[in-house]
Amino acid sequence: MATIKPKVDAVIVGMGWTGAIMAKELTDAGLTVVALERGPDRDTQPDFAYPRVVDELEGSIHRKFLQSLAKETVTARHGTKDTAVPYRQIGSFKPGTGVGGAGTHWSGCHFRALREDFNLRSNVQHRYGAKFIPDGMTIADFPVSYDDLEPHFDHFERVCGTSGKAGVLNGAKMPGGNPFEASRSREFPLPPNRNYLGAELFYKAAREKGYSPYPIPASNASAPYLNPYGCQMGPCNFCGFCSDYGCLNYSKASPNVSILPVLRLRKNFELRAHAQVLKVNLDDSRSRATGVTYLDADGKETEQPADLVLLCAFALYNVHLLLLSGIGKPYDPVANSGTVGRNYSYQNLNRVTLFFDDSVQANGFIGIGGGGTTFDDLNGNQLDNAKAGFIGGGVIWARQPGSGPIRGISTAPGVPNWGSAWKKGVKDAFRHSFYYEVQGACMSYRGNYLDLDPTYRDAFGRPLLRLTFDWNDNEIRASQFLVGKALDMCKVLSPRALSGDAKKPGEHYNITRYQSTHTCGGAIMGSDPKTSALNRYLQSWDVPNVFAPGANAFPQNNGYNPTGMVGALTYWAAKAIRELYIKSPGALVQA
Amino acid sequence: MRGSARPWLVSLSILLVILAGAYLYARWPTHTRAILRQPAAGHLLHDGPGGYLAIAADCAACHTAPGGKPFAGGLRLESPVGAIYSTNITPDHESGIGNYTLDDFDRAVRHGIARNGATLYPAMPYPSYSLMTDEDVADLYDYFMHHVEPAAAPAPVNGIPWPLSMRWPVGVWRKLFAPSPDAPQFNASRFSDPQVARGAYLVEGPGHCGSCHTPRAFTLQEKALNDSSPDFLAGGPVIDGWVAVNLRGNPADGLGRWTQSDIVATLRTARNKEQTVVGSAMSDVVVHSTSQLTDADLLAIASYLKTLGPMAKDQAQFAANPATATALAAGRESNRGAELYDDNCAVCHRTDGAGSPNVLPKIAGNPTALSANADSLIRLVLAGSSLPGTADAPSTLGMPGFGWRLSNEEVAQLLTFVRSGWGNQAAGVSAHDVARVRAELDEQAAALKSPKN
Amino acid sequence: MNDDEAPSASRRQLFKTLALGSLAAAAAGCAKESDRPADSSAAAGEYKPTFFNAAEWEFILAACDRLIPADEFGPSALQAGVPEFIDRHMQTPYAGGDIWYMQGPFIEAAPQFGYQGRLPVRDILRVGMKSIDAHCEKTLAGKTFAQLAHSDQETLLKAAEAGKLELENISAKEFFNQLLGETRMGYFCDPKYGGNKNMAAWKMIGFPGMRADYTNWVEVRDRSYPLPPVDLAGKRG
Repeated sequence: MATIKPKVDAVIVGMGWTGAIMAKELTDAGLTVVALERGPDRDTQPDFAYPRVVDELEGSIHRKFLQSLAKETVTARHGTKDTAVPYRQIGSFKPGTGVGGAGTHWSGCHFRALREDFNLRSNVQHRYGAKFIPDGMTIADFPVSYDDLEPHFDHFERVCGTSGKAGVLNGAKMPGGNPFEASRSREFPLPPNRNYLGAELFYKAAREKGYSPYPIPASNASAPYLNPYGCQMGPCNFCGFCSDYGCLNYSKASPNVSILPVLRLRKNFELRAHAQVLKVNLDDSRSRATGVTYLDADGKETEQPADLVLLCAFALYNVHLLLLSGIGKPYDPVANSGTVGRNYSYQNLNRVTLFFDDSVQANGFIGIGGGGTTFDDLNGNQLDNAKAGFIGGGVIWARQPGSGPIRGISTAPGVPNWGSAWKKGVKDAFRHSFYYEVQGACMSYRGNYLDLDPTYRDAFGRPLLRLTFDWNDNEIRASQFLVGKALDMCKVLSPRALSGDAKKPGEHYNITRYQSTHTCGGAIMGSDPKTSALNRYLQSWDVPNVFAPGANAFPQNNGYNPTGMVGALTYWAAKAIRELYIKSPGALVQA
Repeated sequence: MRGSARPWLVSLSILLVILAGAYLYARWPTHTRAILRQPAAGHLLHDGPGGYLAIAADCAACHTAPGGKPFAGGLRLESPVGAIYSTNITPDHESGIGNYTLDDFDRAVRHGIARNGATLYPAMPYPSYSLMTDEDVADLYDYFMHHVEPAAAPAPVNGIPWPLSMRWPVGVWRKLFAPSPDAPQFNASRFSDPQVARGAYLVEGPGHCGSCHTPRAFTLQEKALNDSSPDFLAGGPVIDGWVAVNLRGNPADGLGRWTQSDIVATLRTARNKEQTVVGSAMSDVVVHSTSQLTDADLLAIASYLKTLGPMAKDQAQFAANPATATALAAGRESNRGAELYDDNCAVCHRTDGAGSPNVLPKIAGNPTALSANADSLIRLVLAGSSLPGTADAPSTLGMPGFGWRLSNEEVAQLLTFVRSGWGNQAAGVSAHDVARVRAELDEQAAALKSPKN
Repeated sequence: MNDDEAPSASRRQLFKTLALGSLAAAAAGCAKESDRPADSSAAAGEYKPTFFNAAEWEFILAACDRLIPADEFGPSALQAGVPEFIDRHMQTPYAGGDIWYMQGPFIEAAPQFGYQGRLPVRDILRVGMKSIDAHCEKTLAGKTFAQLAHSDQETLLKAAEAGKLELENISAKEFFNQLLGETRMGYFCDPKYGGNKNMAAWKMIGFPGMRADYTNWVEVRDRSYPLPPVDLAGKRG
């Protein structure tokens, strides 16, 4: 028999970025909020304390700050005819766990989407004709515009102390920024970070090729910072432990640093760690949620009744919870019906590595997660897709989140994996090489989707989420095109050796190799309840007192990192809850 | 000379007479005048002005136990002769002060006399509270009688063994060292600036800053209760392992180089642009008291503290010197202390010892780094410290401890470097001192593992 | 094989190399995390495995010595204490599969889906070593892997790496990848874990270890980073 807790106004599932934003906004509005986080509570002290936190074996092998797959994971397959097998070891993507979620171990790249990213489908149709979109590609327009989100992009950057340089400020082009970005209402809260060698040389190479390089917007503070909530950040010291690690220096924005200090003082907020939510409970009408059921820290089944349920888990697990709870109709790729699980997309990440002689002090161990240099000349409407032969662009960038020998040392082409030649290879490469990356968009397709696995179960007896995903020709062409451009650019710098990993025709998705944690879609926002799980306020079409903010809402993924967009969408949804829903609970958009 | 005289008998008789005299002296009733003003009815503030005074006087610091009901007492206070427990000051009639009249209350608060005539242990800072005005005492009484929830919670029996548990000698102490009930009340007219006068009242009176920050005589009374002496607030003993810093105008280890706004920020948020509060004792004061005072009162306190000249002798100096920063930035390390700084501290405090404004404290010229008694610094390095989160500064910024990483000798070398780098000029730290603080920490950790009550 | 059997000549040689390497090393890595650093480092004696049996230990010593041999570039795996690291690492929850999804059914899948077997790391190594020794004894005149000439050992490792070695019970490639991974971890880990003695592997490549503080060096182009590595225990390399 489940223990039943006193009812609260809102229950939040997951205490990462979206959960923390929702908790802040809803407690501001006077609601009583309980947040349930499946992992442990975490804070800079003691969890990310120097020097213990910068232990590569703990962080990048034992995955101390990531989700353990032992209890919960997904299964994966390439196509609907295959049998899915479990994602048994962390590889392709790294969901977080614990208070702060993936927001503790992200890098800090903090982009806004381009104006045209919001209406991708109609923009492509307009520019190249409807036939340019191949059969089976299910890209869609977002049901919100850049202008809807601009104040929220802006606010989230303020919360994060994002360091960068505006390229277009209130319509005026600004030197040093991205000339192709959508207009900003304000300059970044902090100036750009300083350039390590790879980022500095990127300017040279990109300019020589006629591109317009600019500093990557980074939520790694370039100076001490006080955010609008009174939370403090210290300047990044380039420690080189962003990805996989919590920040030791209060420099990387995270829910823990940027929002939770305020929440922890609030009387109308309660955080319960080690609370594993099993499902959302619905009433007999199946159109109203009554709360959630979870296992508490002792493993005791507990029910938390609430008027409002906010699914703020990692994108994949939001979809999982919707499917397990029977909220919305599961997507069926054969009948092309249903909504939950539809339009799963990813990120098309590729790398080129440049090797120099030992006079070049690249020092890859000097690292900053989000800081670096990029350009948008091959992204959005700057790219002639008809000429390039694919839909969706991407960015090429210099990034150096910090390398260490256990995280892996890239060696020049031809160097073996062991023996004396390998030793010489790592010795030559470690301080004298760096890499640039191509981060491409990833379109959505009828055959790439999420549903429940028929065979495998998690430690709580629930079916695992099943991921059906493979690369399509469009993304492989994009990879080849963009990596080709990157290699061309690198030649300007005359490295002694150069390697690149463009995807080859027919290449399949390899889940063992880390690429990106930008898993998107599955419970997308849209204007049609037949093809989307959420309306424009991230509210479930089917159960209006359930909201599901996160990258699960993206109909497809653009060339940027999703966190800026995820934060802005969450503030947008929170505003709708505060200003519309609380006054008149119910569907905010009529189906 | 009488041969039959027994000198020891004479001595004993004299001693008995003295003891009897002392006993009578102690037990002779102290007359305190009746308080003039009765509390006003109908307050504008939610808890009445008394609620604010209770915050300014930080009553909760001792009278609210962690996890206990507000003001229900029971907090264990360690003393050299045994543990004493704070009393229940809620208006509960059985275990609290529900039966106290205003005069009873006044005698306890300002004069250290309980309702039964016994003298309170001077853990209760009545020597400072004696400066409070009649009006404030009346307001405070009103707050405790009418705005505080009564809680039935008898105080635990004190752990002081007989004969030390006898109260009457405390009465002697009170009569000898606490201000006489007939002493003139706080005299604001001493100050030409009303802001400074208000600050002096808060610091010397309800704020009882001197209880920790003023050195004590051999007989344990504070050496001064107001700014008439350069001993006042010149730095007190080590409390819970942390040094109560010198609040006078000494430029190195005092507040000489602090601005008024540095002081205001520190009282409001436990941090300012360059320095932070270290240790739990003052953090608690900030959380429970100073962070909740009005801007005007914090400014008043700051303006008063800035009137206090340096204490007699400067035990440390600071004259900014770029040599340390230049050497470290170039990777040059003059000794093992410099190496240890690079290997442990520079990650946050930077090679220039400047930290980062508002976030990571500056070491160069930091009074805690320069304090004559380096215990806080040693403890900080061994065990770390975190800032409290408050409404105005919610970030609980903290420094981890390095005691697991550094030997006593290494901590000594490191701190000797820190106390002589960037222009800091303070005495070195010995491995012996580090060993002592480490042993204290170990003892505290062991005590936490086996709580006595 | 009898565990008490006297060490072969080659094994003795390996032990000697290992012991010398260890003697040269500061023994910070052996200290438990809660221990305070000792004022003088006790030299690590000859490490005695507590996870691997004698046959497995011989295999580990031999394989590590081939994967990261002694040469002019830097320490060998044996000098760096890699076998000690692996022996200790096998006893962690990680090597027991605590962060892997370990539920069945275990079915064959394309290599893009990763290892789909039922074994955690420690058993992948054990089963793999046993299978390779069995393979050697069958095809190479009854010798174990450790008893082969270096060139023969290298040939076998190359075949395993390329997926060209057929073994009973295990994919040779999966075994090789785990063994190489563990060897590299032991080579480059913090000395606390038993490998990377004296931070010699960090020094070889110029990794500053646990410093995590490069404020002053982000924009320096004309000088190499000057400070030596520091480890978790606070020792300098």
